[in-house]
Order: sequence, then structure tokens, then C-alpha cells
Amino acid sequence: MKIADNTRFCIILLISGWFILFGVTPLLLLVITSFLTMDPANLVKFSFTLKAYSQLFIEPGYIIIFTRSVKLALTTTLLCLGLGYPFAWYTARMTPKWRTSALILLMIPFWTNSLVRTYAMRMVLGTHGILNKILLSAGLIHTPLKIMYTDYAVLAGLFYLMLPFMVLPLYATVEKLNFQLVEAARDLGAGAFSTFTKIIFPLTLPGIMAGCIMVFVPTMGLYYVASLLGGARQLLVGNLIQQQFLNAGNWPLGSATSIILIIFMAVMLIGYGLLLRRFSRGRE
Amino acid sequence: MKPLFKALIILAVVLLAAIQTQAAEKIYVYNWTEYLPESVLAQFTKETGIQVVYATYDSNETMYAKLKLIKKDGYDVVVPSTYFVSKMGREGMLMKLDQALLPNMKHLDPELLNKDYDPDNNYSIPYMWGSTGIAVNTDEIPKAQITSWKDLWKPEFKGKLLLQDDLREVFHMALRIKGFSGNTTDPKEIEQAYLLLKDLMPNVLLFNSDSPRLPFLAGEVSIGMIWNGEAWMAQEENPAIQYVYPEEGASFWVDSFVIPKGARNPKGAHAFINFMMTPEVAKACVEEYGYPTPVKPAIALLDSNISGSRTIFPAAKVIQQGEFQNDVGQAIEIYQKYWEKLRTGD
Amino acid sequence: MNMLRLFYFAGIFFYLYLPISVLIVNAFNLNKYGMKWDGFTFKWFTAMLENHSLMEAARHSMVIAVCAATLATMIGALAAIGLNRYRFFGRKLIQGTSMTLMMAPDIILAIAFLVLFVTLGIGLGFWSLLFSHITFCLPFAIITITGRLQDFDPNILDAARDLGASEKNILTRVILPMMRPALISSWLLAFTLSLDDVIISSFVTGPSYDVLPLKIFSMVKVGVKPEVNALAALLVLLSLALVIVSQLMLKEKKIA
Repeated sequence: MKIADNTRFCIILLISGWFILFGVTPLLLLVITSFLTMDPANLVKFSFTLKAYSQLFIEPGYIIIFTRSVKLALTTTLLCLGLGYPFAWYTARMTPKWRTSALILLMIPFWTNSLVRTYAMRMVLGTHGILNKILLSAGLIHTPLKIMYTDYAVLAGLFYLMLPFMVLPLYATVEKLNFQLVEAARDLGAGAFSTFTKIIFPLTLPGIMAGCIMVFVPTMGLYYVASLLGGARQLLVGNLIQQQFLNAGNWPLGSATSIILIIFMAVMLIGYGLLLRRFSRGRE
Repeated sequence: MKPLFKALIILAVVLLAAIQTQAAEKIYVYNWTEYLPESVLAQFTKETGIQVVYATYDSNETMYAKLKLIKKDGYDVVVPSTYFVSKMGREGMLMKLDQALLPNMKHLDPELLNKDYDPDNNYSIPYMWGSTGIAVNTDEIPKAQITSWKDLWKPEFKGKLLLQDDLREVFHMALRIKGFSGNTTDPKEIEQAYLLLKDLMPNVLLFNSDSPRLPFLAGEVSIGMIWNGEAWMAQEENPAIQYVYPEEGASFWVDSFVIPKGARNPKGAHAFINFMMTPEVAKACVEEYGYPTPVKPAIALLDSNISGSRTIFPAAKVIQQGEFQNDVGQAIEIYQKYWEKLRTGD
Repeated sequence: MNMLRLFYFAGIFFYLYLPISVLIVNAFNLNKYGMKWDGFTFKWFTAMLENHSLMEAARHSMVIAVCAATLATMIGALAAIGLNRYRFFGRKLIQGTSMTLMMAPDIILAIAFLVLFVTLGIGLGFWSLLFSHITFCLPFAIITITGRLQDFDPNILDAARDLGASEKNILTRVILPMMRPALISSWLLAFTLSLDDVIISSFVTGPSYDVLPLKIFSMVKVGVKPEVNALAALLVLLSLALVIVSQLMLKEKKIA
């Protein structure tokens, strides 16, 4: 660790500088702002107050928004997990040639702009959209399904965007799975169900949890999907923060909401880390 | 070292391409969505050589917040509604207009000048005005059934209603039903309106101020609150969609051109505003969007089916029945408080 | 079992590709609303190219994406190396900040950056946008490159030092070339993330620098503009090209 080493010094200086200026400082400023008072003319007044936080906890409306966002994120996560796990499983079992193709086919939509995809969703789910057209002409329904601007539309859109985030970490873990263990279990007479619950699930748990985190966290913030597909009827945490900053001009409240959100995420991530450590210690 | 060098060169070239500003003169216009035809902008550039960089917003509040963040090198022309003109004028956010640079003011209807929100038109020039009423898809709902704001509360419309994402207009509805003014500052009256609106919420399918006619055209909603121009545009595509002036009174508004204090090119901005007041230009705007114009000579240039349309140009009686939006000063905070409650609850 | 698997994949891919197929087909559809097929046409593509503000926004987005990807990869590479090779005060803090930046929902980053720029008095425009984009791409770059670094055989580095190489030389002659696949992956990832960003851009850019996602957002909200379909079709093609390019570049040169 020669301190005189110039290259090393420059590198450390650069990365520290960047992270402190653009990483730590903004978050710190956010924390500070959450304790200030709102000033309609000048954005914020420098008087310390807990008003923003108390507002969040006292007014029932905000808690409702928060629970709604969590519910949506959770539902999306479970949907992605349920429908995405088979993808990871089947793909891991394929021959390498098919594997790459399957993954590429999964990724191409991902590399397409998410707004464009959400817009496409609108065309599919509308009353005169493709989905209704197909169902009507197949005779499966008689009047068009009203999906647009409901929670189902939002869910469909979020699932569409988030699926790859679940599949990729899952796949990474499933691929490393020792399939001989599965076959051994089957040889020993275990049914498909117990094979899954006793062998496959526990061994792929890290991937499952990684996938869940990778879906849950962004979904808490993806409010524009909800406003494009859900009709701005049901406000989510992201909408709330955006409104506080852009419409209502209440920066302290917006900052406070964000801080609470960060704390919530941090708690979840720490929980994930702890569970992971506990789990890997339990394994032989 | 070589690949690093190459990367840096590419980066430098790209950065140069980015920073290089075009030689042409520009103005930055910030306006409501669906409110200015591209052809008009192109015409302006042709006549003056000034390029227009155009951005849009869907609510006064968003526009106001954006303007507060950009102190200099900001937008040159913005189009707020009446009560925001007075608010922004009070807060010193607007530049005083140089009426010497606006000779086309002579074309404007004197009825729309010198109003309370901007006496002497120090800050604003009216661009378009209009009303907010009810749109009905008569294929689904007979027009005769819809005559009043109260009809929106009917239980058979549960989950079928479209509302504008605008707190003043939504409250206007409820206030007029209760017999109060849409511009009231009395907290008790506003609270009563709020309680009435709470009952309406289950009927609402969505809030939309970007382009309220689209859900109608797509068949997602068949009744709702809408601006008259949007209704007229919808009617052009689907004649079944009709506009109703509610008996309690529609809300009338005026959107005006203003020049924010941080404008880069005030001269260009004045040229633009003056251009927008030429009769041919105003005519094009009416034809495209269906909103009435304050430029009197333009009306004579219109086709009779447009100048005669009651959706675009309401009868004097209807205007009297209705009410023009005005500033409510500090009371806006009361409205905001209840609006938030409405939007976050449920 | 095979039928189930087939059925499942068919279902998933149908769901994934139906919306973008509809978009692409409608980009060529004469009918504005895409409700029925009226005939083949290129006119929406020409309309799109003639839409100056759209093309300007696209140009801006490309510039930002290229710059952000390049700078994020460069800084990210240095950061990955620095965090992995050196022990210094504040290392844990930087790693933690990087994690936070990666995990935090976009909206929080967006307002945090906004507050920063307003406090520092930096005008909202190109530079605020660039710095924000570099910053949120950085953690992804670091993770991608770190993954590659950890696979690296440390003996090679010891050998280089024993042979008298300076720190700078070790970096440029040994580590960087070896990291090439990771650098490419990281660049492509950052490029995609930057081009895709809606929320952060909407908060930190100014009137002088409109970007594509924001333009698309306002066009999409106002509804059916067929130029959006044409643009969307092009973007899908672009992503296809990116995927192919990345696959080709990553296939070559696997270290023995």
C-alpha cells in the first residue's frame, strides 16, 4: 500500500469524489429537506420541523397509498415468481443451444424501451384492442372485457416489464443446481411435490429471494405504468412523491415520503441478507 | 492505452456534437397538450426564421412547479389559465408585456381584455377560451337524460366516469350543484363540495387531462367531464359523442400567453404572441381544436358549420348561466387539502 | 411433460411478443387507430422523421446514452478495480452508497438529484442530465465488472508485479484488456438503462434538453399518434440489434 503510488491515489480520489458528490450528498440533502418547512413561494424555509413526518403518519390517506403500493408490488412479485420459475427451470434443463435462444428471446423485449412496451400494452388491452378481438372472434366472450384503467391492466403491464428481472436471478441459481440430487430423490421414491419442496425450493432459495427483491423494489417506484394503464385513479407511492414535488410543491413532504420508502426498502434488504446468511449456514 | 485513447476521442466528438448549438434563433414554448397545431409553428418559423422548441404540460400546477425550478434560461412563452396568471403575476414570475410589440392586439375581443385577473393586460394576452361541461356517448346513454352536473352522480354510472385531473374544475361542479360560486373562498362551502365529491368517487373510472376524448373514442367511458374543444374533436371522429352544458352552469376559462421572467428571448416571444393573434392563425387553431378564439376577425373567416357550432361558440345565455374561473388567493390551499384527500383516499 | 412445457413457453412468448408485434404491424398500417388493417404504408415513418422535435429529442437521448454509458463504464471500471484491489478508508461507505443507488426506486433518485442541483445552483439541462445518468448507471457497471474481476486469477497479477510492472501498467496492460467482455456488457447495459429512463429524466432535465422517453411519454398520453408506432417499431429493431451485437461481441475471446 504505497501511499506515494499516484495511479492508486487518483483512482481512489475519483471514485470517492464522484460517489460523495453525486451519491451521498443528494441522499443527505433529501434527509435534510424532509425536516424543513414548506414555503409556497421559495420551495423551502429553513425551519426545522417534524411536520412532514407527522403528516404522513397521521393522515390515513397516505398510509392507504403506501399499503396499496406494497400490495401491488407484492402481487406483481408473486405473479412473476409463479410464472417465471417454470421458465428458469425449463431453460436450465435445456441443451445449451436452446438455452441461449430461450434467454435471448426473453431479453429482446427487455431491451425495448419500457414506455413503448407499456403503450403497446394499452393497444392490446383496450376495449377495441387485440385481446378482446381475439377472444370475441374465438367466441370465448360475448361482450368486450373492460380491462383498461383497472388494477388488472396495471398488473398485466408490470408483469410484462418485470418478468426478466425475476427469471434471470432465478435462472442463475437453478442452472447451478445439482440435478443429480433431484434424480436421487426421485429414485428414492419422492413424489414431484416433495421433491420440489424439500430439495429444489430450498436449494434455489437464494435465486428466488434475489428475483423477488429485483422485482419488488423497482415496482414500488414504477408509477408511470400505473398512471398510463390505471387511469391515475389509484395513487401509488411514486405518484405521491412526484405530485408533492411537481404539483403541490411540498418538498418536505415528498422528501419525507421518500425517506420512509428508503427505510422500508433497507429493512427488507437487511432481512433478505439475514435470511440468506441464516439459510446458507444451515446448509451442509 | 490505445483503446482508452480511442474511447476518449469518440467521447469528445460526441460531446462536441451535443454542445454545438444551432445557429438559428429559437424560442421555447411551453403549452397545454393538444393546443397548438404543428402547421402553425412551421408557419411561424417560415415567416420569422425563429425555430420553436415545443414542450407540453397537462395541468397548471405542473407548469407552475417547473417554472419555479428554472430561474434563468427557461421558457419564453407559457400558457397559464386565468387564476394562475394572477398568482404568477403576484409572485413576480412574469415579465411585463411590451404592447408596442403587439400590434395585433387590435384584433382581440374587448370583452376578454382588461379582466380582473390581469387589469390592463400587463402580463397576459388571451390565446383561447372555452368551457368545461359534460360529454356523453349517445350510443350508450340517451342525451335527453343528461342535463345537469348532478347526473354524473347516478349510481348506474359506477366505474364509468371520466373526470379532469384539475381540482378547480372538479370542485366547480360540486360547488355549483350546492348553489355556491365556483370561485368561493369560504371554507365551509368548499368542505360541503368535498363531501359531495366523496360520494362521486366510486363512479370515477379514471382521471385524465392529457386528452380526455381518447377514453371516449376507445369506448372505455361513455360519460364524463370534458373541455368543449375535446368534445368537438371527439365528435368529428364519432358523431355519437355529444357535449352538454349543464344547467347549474359550465365553468368557463381563458388561457393566456405570458412571458416568464427567466425567458431567454423576450423579443422572439413577443413576435410569437403577436403572430398568434393574426386572424388566419387563430382560424387554424379553432379549426384544429374546437376552442373559441378571442381574435374577432378570425370568426368571420370560419366555415359556417364551425362558427355555428354551439359546442365551440356557446350562446350568450349559456355563458351567463356559467361562471368564469377566477383566482381564489390563499383559499387554494383549502381546495388542495380536500383534493388530496379525494385522490389519496379509497 | 413435454406438452406442458411447450404450452407454457408458447404462452409466455405469446404474452411477451404480442404487444410489440401489434406495434410493429401498426407502424405499417394505413389505419390511424390500428383497429383494422387498411393497407401497407411507410408514411408514418416519414412523418416521424419530419417531426423535428421528436428527432431532436431522439438525438439528445442518443448523445446522453452514449456519453453516460462510456463515462459510467470508465468510472465504473476504475471503481471496481479500486474497490477490489485497494483497501482504503471509506471503502465500505462507497460500496454501501453504490448498493443504495442501485436499489433505490427511480423516483427517489430523481428527487434527490433535483434537490442536489437546485441546492448547487446547477441549471437543469444537459449537464444535470448527464451527471444523473452516469450516477445511476454506475452501480450496474461496477457489479458487472466486479463479477469479471473476481473470476480473474490473482497469480497473473502477482507475476506482473514480480516482473517489475508499475501499478499503471498492471492496470492498462493486464487488467483492462482482460475485462473487455465485462466492459462491453457494462456499456450496453448502461446504454439501455440511460435510453430507457423516464422518471429521473423528467425531473432533472430542462427545456433546452428534451429527451426521447419524455417525448414519447407526452405523445403516448395524448394517445394515438401513428408516428409513435413507427418510432416504437424502430426502437424494437434497435434493441434486437443491440442483443445480437452483444451476443457476438461476448462470444469471441473466451480466456482459456
